[in-house]
Amino acid sequence: MRDRIDDIRARGAELVIVGNGAQNFAAAFREDFELDCPILVDPELRAYRAAGLRRGRVELLSPRLPLNALRALRSGSRQTGVQGDPWQLGGVFVIRPGGHLMYRYVSREAGDHPPVEEILAALEEEAKPIQEASPTSGAQVWLGRALSRVVDPFVVSSFDRTGFRIHSLTFRSEDLDVDLSGRRCLVTGANSGIGYETALALADLGAEVVLLCRNPERGEQAAERVRQQTGSSRVSLEIVDMSDLASVRAAAARLASAPVDVLVHNAGVLPDERAETREGLELTLATHVVGPFLLTRLLQSSLEKSPYGRVIWVSSGGMYTRRLNLEDPNWTRRDYDGVAAYAETKRAQVVLSELWAEELGGSPIVVNAMHPGWADTPSVKSSLPRFHRVMRNILRTPAEGADTVVWLAACPGARQSTGRFFFDRQERRTHLLPFTRESEEDRRALWKLCEQLSSEPSR
Amino acid sequence: MRIASKLSGIELSDWTGDREQLGTFWRDRPIVLVFIRHFG
Repeated sequence: MRDRIDDIRARGAELVIVGNGAQNFAAAFREDFELDCPILVDPELRAYRAAGLRRGRVELLSPRLPLNALRALRSGSRQTGVQGDPWQLGGVFVIRPGGHLMYRYVSREAGDHPPVEEILAALEEEAKPIQEASPTSGAQVWLGRALSRVVDPFVVSSFDRTGFRIHSLTFRSEDLDVDLSGRRCLVTGANSGIGYETALALADLGAEVVLLCRNPERGEQAAERVRQQTGSSRVSLEIVDMSDLASVRAAAARLASAPVDVLVHNAGVLPDERAETREGLELTLATHVVGPFLLTRLLQSSLEKSPYGRVIWVSSGGMYTRRLNLEDPNWTRRDYDGVAAYAETKRAQVVLSELWAEELGGSPIVVNAMHPGWADTPSVKSSLPRFHRVMRNILRTPAEGADTVVWLAACPGARQSTGRFFFDRQERRTHLLPFTRESEEDRRALWKLCEQLSSEPSR
Repeated sequence: MRIASKLSGIELSDWTGDREQLGTFWRDRPIVLVFIRHFG
């Protein structure tokens, strides 16, 4: 490829190289091959993963490997040693302004490169963008289902990125081949992680997206990034602190003027120590349960104005470990445990999702909950540093964590379900342990508690 | 989600340590984006 850099530039394009080694390797690579094009390093393999490139020991074992090595030698290439991730494979993409993908080649094994002529053809004026979604094959789905049966009984191999890759074999690519133009989607906690990726994906599908964030500066930066990455101007910011009911009421009043097609309850917190809001609510209870309950109530008529209304609760796999707690939801009579408070409120979100689905049964609004698996988000890194340190190499990307949220928000078929719980686009059980089951009385008590705690204070 | 959108916001360092979002490279002109298996 480096020999054809002039041909690439003659077509008005630039060669950009990404490697997965360290910066000094890139500098040496640049000097050794006398390259004057941008050379970037991706030691965390974020771009490799986002591009869907292959990685693994099996991929490096191929009967064609000696042939590829010979071909590389004949073309003058000399490998001086592996500098970077030895199991990572490469690929080539041609991208035009506006993000149009003109060419994609994903290497199947070491030494597998695309013909340069194909790349140059993709740079020609008359070249057309390629269709990005390819239909899912029956064999792929069969393999995905078979492997899912193996990994799903184990939390680690199911919640981690291997689990996502296996589950994603069964995803129908056409599910997200949708145009959301004209839809208005609200995403709470959208300045980073899963919320950000959800907002980005929905804007990318053509929706008008409102990022509901607590911090104006970080919120605006996120909104601007979404605008830049999608080229959409219909991306706005609404400042709201989901733990502050007065803030929720004020934001809802501003947002309720137009129909709402999708409301994603994603904002989350995991404090080390008990913190109380000015209304006297424990912070996770206010942020995950009472605030979203109130926002749903206040936006109910705006959601009903849409024929596509969807409410999505972003819960957590951690909720599987806890029962709904109605004896001391505000943590005034127990020693505070942030992880337990998080899991209990995430359990409450799943129950609330079911209760809202019943409440809105006669309306066009569907309500579902999901959990994203273990994703490498800024919140996980800051709130669970030890977990992050140990697991970071197997965590999903935030985009992978957001996939089911986007699917629930956008896929036409996902509207057939309401009051259900999803993980990796599949409906899942809400209880894995018998002691976590709540009674019907508990469920009603949760609804009553939310109504009570979110009611307007008397003046 | 389109590949370009997924890649666009990812910020990487170049060989000098300067950081750049991938999306800036195709903002004004086409690019051939090559992911190499490794340096070496």
